[in-house]
Amino acid sequence: MLLCDHYITPATLDEAFDAMDAYRGRYRIVAGATDTLPWARQGRAGDVHYPALIDISRIPEMKARKVTATQALIGAGTPIQRFMDDPALARALPSMPRCAVWFADDQIRELATIGGNLVNASPAADSVPCLLVQDAAVELVARRDGRIVRRKVRLDDFMTGPGRTCLAEGELLLAIECAALPGYGGAFEKVGHRRSLVISVVCLAAVVKLDPEGRAIEDVRMAIAGVRPVPCRLREVEAFLRGKPLTADRIEEAAHLQSDLVQSRSRQDYRRDVIPKFIVRSLINATRRAGAHPSALNASLEAAYA
Amino acid sequence: MPEIQIDAVINGRKIRRATRPHLRLIDFLRDDLNLTGTKEGCGAGECGTCSVFVDGVLMKSCLMPVAKAQGATIETIESLGRTGELSVMQQAFHKAGASQCGYCIPGMVMAATAALRANPFADREEIKERLGGNICRCTGYQKIFDAVEMARDLNNGRLSSEAFAEIDDGEGKYIGRNIRRIDAPSKVSGALKYAGDMVMPGMLHVQVLRSPHAHARIVSIDTSAAEAMDGVAGVITCDDVPGEDGFGVFVHDQPIMARGKVRYVGEAVAAVAAEDLVTARRALDAIEVVYEPLPAVFDAHEALKPGAPVIHDYAPDNITKHIPIRVGDVEKGFAQSDLVLEETYTTQAIEHAYLEPEAGLAYVDHDGVVTVISPDQNITHHRHMLAKIIAKPISKVRFIMSPVGGGFGGKEDMIYQGMLALLAMKTHRPVRLVFTREESIATTAKRHPSTTTLRIGVTRDGRIQAVTFKMICDGGAYGLSTEGVMRKAAILGAGPYNIPNLRMDTIGVYTNNTPSGAFRSFGALQSQFATESHLDMIAETLGFDPFEIRRVNMMRDGARTHTKQVLKSVSLGRVLDAAERGCGWDKGPPNQRGATRSDLGRDDVRPAVALGARFGAAPAREAAE
Repeated sequence: MLLCDHYITPATLDEAFDAMDAYRGRYRIVAGATDTLPWARQGRAGDVHYPALIDISRIPEMKARKVTATQALIGAGTPIQRFMDDPALARALPSMPRCAVWFADDQIRELATIGGNLVNASPAADSVPCLLVQDAAVELVARRDGRIVRRKVRLDDFMTGPGRTCLAEGELLLAIECAALPGYGGAFEKVGHRRSLVISVVCLAAVVKLDPEGRAIEDVRMAIAGVRPVPCRLREVEAFLRGKPLTADRIEEAAHLQSDLVQSRSRQDYRRDVIPKFIVRSLINATRRAGAHPSALNASLEAAYA
Repeated sequence: MPEIQIDAVINGRKIRRATRPHLRLIDFLRDDLNLTGTKEGCGAGECGTCSVFVDGVLMKSCLMPVAKAQGATIETIESLGRTGELSVMQQAFHKAGASQCGYCIPGMVMAATAALRANPFADREEIKERLGGNICRCTGYQKIFDAVEMARDLNNGRLSSEAFAEIDDGEGKYIGRNIRRIDAPSKVSGALKYAGDMVMPGMLHVQVLRSPHAHARIVSIDTSAAEAMDGVAGVITCDDVPGEDGFGVFVHDQPIMARGKVRYVGEAVAAVAAEDLVTARRALDAIEVVYEPLPAVFDAHEALKPGAPVIHDYAPDNITKHIPIRVGDVEKGFAQSDLVLEETYTTQAIEHAYLEPEAGLAYVDHDGVVTVISPDQNITHHRHMLAKIIAKPISKVRFIMSPVGGGFGGKEDMIYQGMLALLAMKTHRPVRLVFTREESIATTAKRHPSTTTLRIGVTRDGRIQAVTFKMICDGGAYGLSTEGVMRKAAILGAGPYNIPNLRMDTIGVYTNNTPSGAFRSFGALQSQFATESHLDMIAETLGFDPFEIRRVNMMRDGARTHTKQVLKSVSLGRVLDAAERGCGWDKGPPNQRGATRSDLGRDDVRPAVALGARFGAAPAREAAE
């Protein structure tokens, strides 16, 4: 049970920092609260009491969203569902809609925020691979000596371990900045114990840009979660495919280049088995959505990985 | 504790209420506004029994701090329709037979309503996807999806209101047709009150202190600090039991609360009744229990070994029940066999996971009758046991069965009703206990984990000549239904086959695990898993079609079972024929099947699990997303 004496809903960043100052060391920040409430239950944290819960979801900067041809700025309070139903976001981050449809369920996605998924820093966080392929950075904000101070950190560097980030005491995650990748095809592969409401055992995001004929890979970016303390890009696979013709043989060869990734505490063999299959399947799906020529990949490959 | 003010529009009515800041929206709706159609199945966002619309968007109210509802417009199941004037979706759930226990149904109706609001033309795959956050444990979902499709078609004019009215309309006829449940309108409207929805004036809230040890001697229990707390009305331990303390379906080996020692993690040790839930939970922390840990045993085979820790003094060998059955001469039967196959099969504990966690309410009425209301699958037996435990004549004990939000056998044991009765007697006030999902999973009976060693001898023509069958089941810390489960396993485990020579042993064993109890099929599942798997392997070895090996051995009309029951009519032959047709079986041994499979890709076979239906691509064309 989550108990608090005060539930504070600041309307501005300054009000949030006022509350954080007033309850220094005695507050917890919530946004969607969809992870905090289940955490404060038997078997995890148990009954937890805070003098103050500070709900930052109504701060306007947290809800900001700006997408240009090359850049996207996404407020940390953006609910996951927006990555499916906001066409501008879906175009700019092509693997995110496919990730979102697997993320918890429709109802939780309306509350759960992208920022919450990042600060949780789960090794299996679904949104992280999708943001890594966009070369995302996070904007962190604090108030020092009465002044709002911002800093930018690459997402790669933001997560430092399972449940750990470089977020400093008194600092908030304000927004995510990333490249916009319109014209790329996106894919997201995930496996867990069931379809909805499941933590990934392995998940993988891929975005691909093809040449106008749909026969060569101009750019490809892939990232994986659930297999290491922190999600990561598959840079060797990317380098092997980038600028090369789109062929079934090349994709199958690429699938086995980074089989040594798994550092999980459990089910290592299973995960090692999944990775190459997810690489192939995500490339089939992403290249199709990027406009692959129908004859580029042979039907037997698609059937084998369907 | 300072209160917060909530201004909101709830089911079309403006409300302004002061409430406690830590509440979730579900608590506010249920406890402050008495809108109990919104259920709590898990409290962790997993099950969807609490789904409500917030500003038109479906959300799980157990995951939403009430402060987030400030200024919002909220619709609960109560806004969709009332008993007697149901919404189209609610009527469709009624017509399709989509509600069984009913506990998931308000949330399911809300999710279905949201799905069609999002896409009035959603196909079945998209409906499944959009209902993904809501769990049902009774229906297997197909009737729920039928109901949503029915509502969709009625809304879109594809189904006329006349045709809709005629569905299931067969006044006075019952045999050979589906009959609508008479309690369905109360379930689809959220009006039906389960035990956890019931309140009484002056009602206290109960919480239970549970053992952190699997096996330990209780040195002392000090409840004085808890009893002295403001808002605490009463604390009980086993010392408050006035009569003969012990319950169970067969052997009365379980005390209402641990007496002398604890035998599993989660066993009740003490219980508190307080003015509110938070006080009751804090009072648990104030109870001091000194334990002296004892060696524990967690494996049924280990528990059977000489020198293993003894769980109950009355059973020094840790055997709860051993059912031996002997027919013919198995050694002779094996000697006549051309093939003798031996294997060991194991199954694990399974939680029933009914959507309604255990809950109960108790009071002592004006005539001094101790009354317990709970979703209890065996009230008559429990009434008799409780009368002895609280030393009252049977006329002073009443059990009322509240609607059972799913039981599956898991609510057959009197594991908490005794505590409620004692607290009502001690405090002279109505008391209510509602389990959390975690508490339900940690402390209530499970399906018996089993290990079965099975040896079957057959002649070349596939006929069974002899069977030895030994099943060891982990019954956990208390007897509960173990004896009955062992009996059913012994009666049904060898399957509906003619077996001339049989040696069958089913053995229930005490361990320090969570007690095992009744669960649908009651021991037949574990034992028949072994037998049927074994027959498939024999079919493979002998080159038999698996249906054929069963036909060769099956009982027919007039057969006599190994427990000497004569079966006047046996439908197995027809069942096998229907199963063979229905699954599109390609004849032949299981390991010699052709390159093509006629059981896949048919219209009447469901496609593989997929997500992304709403992106507009047929799931089959996407590479299994």
